[in-house]
Amino acid sequence: MTSSDMLALMPLMVLVGGSVLVLLAGAIKPGGYLYWLAGVLILAAMIWCLLIPVDAVMPGLAITSFSRFFELFLNSAGLIALLLASAYNRRRGITGEEYPATILFALAGMGVACAATDLLMIFLGLEAFTFAFYILVAIKRDSANGGEAGLKYLLNGTLSAAILAMGMALVYAAGGTIKLAELASASGAQEPIFLAGGCLILLGIAFKLSLVPAHLWTADVYQGAPAPVTALLSTASKGASLVALLLLLPLLAGWNGLHNILWLLALLSMLAGNLAALVQKNLKRMLAWSSVGQMGYIALALVAAPAGGSRASVFYMVIYVAAGLGAFGTISVLSDENERETVEDYRGMGYSNPLAGASLAVAMFSLAGIPPAAGFMAKFAVFSAALRGGEFTLALVGILSALVAVFFYLRVVVSLYMKPQAVPLETTRKPNSAEIVALLVPVIVIVILGIYPEPLLELLEKIMI
Amino acid sequence: MLNNYPLLTIVIFIPLAACLLLLPLWSRASIAKPVAFGIAAVELVLAGWLYFSWQSLAGAPARLPGYLLLEDASWIPSFGIRYTLGLDGISLLMVMLTSFTFCGALAVSWNSIKERVVLFLTLMLIMEAGIMGVFLSLDLALFYLFWEIMLIPMFFLIGVWGHGRKIYSTIKFFLFTMFGSLLMLLAIIALHLLHAAQSGVVTFALHDLLHTQLPFNTQLWLFAAFFLAFAIKFPLFPLHTWLPDAHTDAPTAGSVVLAGLLLKTGSYGLIRFGYPLFPLAAQAFTPLFYTLALIGIFYASLVAFAQEDMKRLIAYSSIGHMGYVAIGIAAWDPVALSGSILQMANHGVTTGALFCLIGMLDERAHTRDIAAFGGLWGKIPLWSFFFLIFSLTSMGLPGLNSFVGEFLILAGTIKQSPLVVVLSFIGIILPLIYMVRLVQEVLFQKERQTLVLLDLDLREIAILAVLLLLDIWVGVHPAPLLDMIHLPVQLLIGGAP
Repeated sequence: MTSSDMLALMPLMVLVGGSVLVLLAGAIKPGGYLYWLAGVLILAAMIWCLLIPVDAVMPGLAITSFSRFFELFLNSAGLIALLLASAYNRRRGITGEEYPATILFALAGMGVACAATDLLMIFLGLEAFTFAFYILVAIKRDSANGGEAGLKYLLNGTLSAAILAMGMALVYAAGGTIKLAELASASGAQEPIFLAGGCLILLGIAFKLSLVPAHLWTADVYQGAPAPVTALLSTASKGASLVALLLLLPLLAGWNGLHNILWLLALLSMLAGNLAALVQKNLKRMLAWSSVGQMGYIALALVAAPAGGSRASVFYMVIYVAAGLGAFGTISVLSDENERETVEDYRGMGYSNPLAGASLAVAMFSLAGIPPAAGFMAKFAVFSAALRGGEFTLALVGILSALVAVFFYLRVVVSLYMKPQAVPLETTRKPNSAEIVALLVPVIVIVILGIYPEPLLELLEKIMI
Repeated sequence: MLNNYPLLTIVIFIPLAACLLLLPLWSRASIAKPVAFGIAAVELVLAGWLYFSWQSLAGAPARLPGYLLLEDASWIPSFGIRYTLGLDGISLLMVMLTSFTFCGALAVSWNSIKERVVLFLTLMLIMEAGIMGVFLSLDLALFYLFWEIMLIPMFFLIGVWGHGRKIYSTIKFFLFTMFGSLLMLLAIIALHLLHAAQSGVVTFALHDLLHTQLPFNTQLWLFAAFFLAFAIKFPLFPLHTWLPDAHTDAPTAGSVVLAGLLLKTGSYGLIRFGYPLFPLAAQAFTPLFYTLALIGIFYASLVAFAQEDMKRLIAYSSIGHMGYVAIGIAAWDPVALSGSILQMANHGVTTGALFCLIGMLDERAHTRDIAAFGGLWGKIPLWSFFFLIFSLTSMGLPGLNSFVGEFLILAGTIKQSPLVVVLSFIGIILPLIYMVRLVQEVLFQKERQTLVLLDLDLREIAILAVLLLLDIWVGVHPAPLLDMIHLPVQLLIGGAP
């Protein structure tokens, strides 16, 4: 390993080493400062990425502008989730150093997944952060919901890991190598064993992206996990899984069945996600189902990958992540010893807690794809790509399910601003400064990308070759 | 010299910038009100200035024929979206109507909005910016963006300050409009891609897309999507059901803006985008368009006759009046189209005035039920005077503005389709029936309930007097406005503007 490799790997090492450091520090002197320590470490990794952009290619990993972009992007999501958690965990009595340490570990796993160049590294990265989420989802040990969610996530997650591993084994058996670049150009790419492996890999990642039919865990886990964990689980983990999928798709690029599989995944996810969200009363469940639908739009972009859909899918993901952080961020900021469960529990919150209310409303408008929120630009990119790729039916289904989605997203806004107050004004707590930052950043990102998305689009054009 | 300033950008962004100005005044409604009204007045002054200098602007060489002002800048090249604004006579008339309506809407809700005043003012200003943008955009993607932006404030306006089943109404309004818009978005993207495939130029600019050669079938589908979006806004039968609900439950300012402007965005879109982009498909749609407009005229008038709520009655009359605008567009004849465009402005002023009047009565009596009133002529003579005059305008009395518009529409259409004109002449009688009933019951019948009502105060008289003067001016001397829209109309009918 050369010194430039070391420089390039430093952000990942900071995260892994930091995770251990936080655990050790917590053993010596527990306390809230550990969140700040973890936050500083994430920030350090991000600054390193920005200031010392060294490319390096190692066995299994390639640090490029592509991986650095996602490292930065996922780490900022992680940082926001950590800021949210610092206050939320204190209120709900979630103590201990394992929380910030596990977040750091999860981010390191995501970083590995984004930089992987072979099957093993992808598997390692994906399972590393999924493993971290097994812990985080059930971190509130005395909560029945949390325990149930943790178990469900664990069972589904290990199943998907097994499927993913099986798929990779088959691909290796047929292709004779684990290197992605060689596999993509391998001559045996049309053999049944190779294709079976590829399909199992797709299914395994569909689990992580909660694409229908591998979505069943989503609603229960989102509902049961603490809100800041859901914030990270529904955003950064999806982002990293998308990157893994983008890295793996070239393996099957020559096979025309890939199009049909993605087509079906997109169709079912858009329909099932948006229709099921329609009847949910619990806000987190509603958001969970809606995220299934949102992932459907990403799959729609991937169906049209030859027509520039990959860029659209990443663009969509960035904006989805901002909205997801805003939505779940608001839920965690507005929670006390318990979280507010139903949409109706948020009545009048737009006035009693203007910042949190506005953040949730902006997130809803963005998810619904209504300008000037960035969600519109995201949908615009996806639908342009889909039509350019000739996916007319899918685009039509997508736009109609987006209309359905408008209804349940609006219900939240209606509850926030148009229904009489549920809680009298005096009892509402003001968000602290960490929470204010965590709420403001997604809102600002959504508004800026909604009005002027050009810089991000150009950047994505540059890094995605 | 005027061209040196980005005037159109200023027109759109002054209200948005003013929202920032309102932020520090969040809890001081008494200062925020004059500030917001002042901004609306500045817009009115700007629009007025444009009106008085349009002839000198027209004298200058234009980059696009017919356009007085044009602004163009790169915005999102990755998508091919440009920031293109253009002002021609039709847009100018609409800009004047917008700035005027917002002044009126803010003035009329001066006392009636008591809660969350600054939020209300902010939303009004955002909506003004959005509507201005709709009337000025010449890039389809930009147009769509403004088209959607103006929905959000209206959604809040009805939902927060409305009455009755406000949440039901506002969601219905939003979903109906979104339904059409989303399909139109697909059509816009498809048109853009077809153009790109044909010419290699990635653009959403209206004046490039006009040159796209489209087979008839493609035109039909794309036009259908545009038509649906605009017909919902219009609203054409049977897509009108959101309108009575939204109007009835909206606060007065919301109703005024809804009737005065949001409905006009539908007809404007059809004139500016739908017909020029897809001429063959539009021709094929003409019989359908005529039929729906005529059904709308008859149906809305009959339903209006049966209404007990004054506001709902006027809302239905709106559908009928917009039916004439639709006929004028469907005829696609210079005279009829001029009539339609003029009628858009007329309807905005007249119906706006009627909604103001009903709002004022509602503030006093806390009911809008026709059966609750009677003999108001003797009790509040000023209110009754204005109500009578505007009702007469709404019926199309010669000398007042609606007559001019309707006359032009029918005179132009008779060349294209005499049958339609005969039927719409019958339709003209119908408003007479329900308006006479309304006026008779409310103003002249015996008093049915003892209501203690105060007559109009100075602010209210001022608003109504200005509206009335406008009505009379357009009714007696519409020539300046017709001159203004003459060239753009000719260019539209003649093909590519």
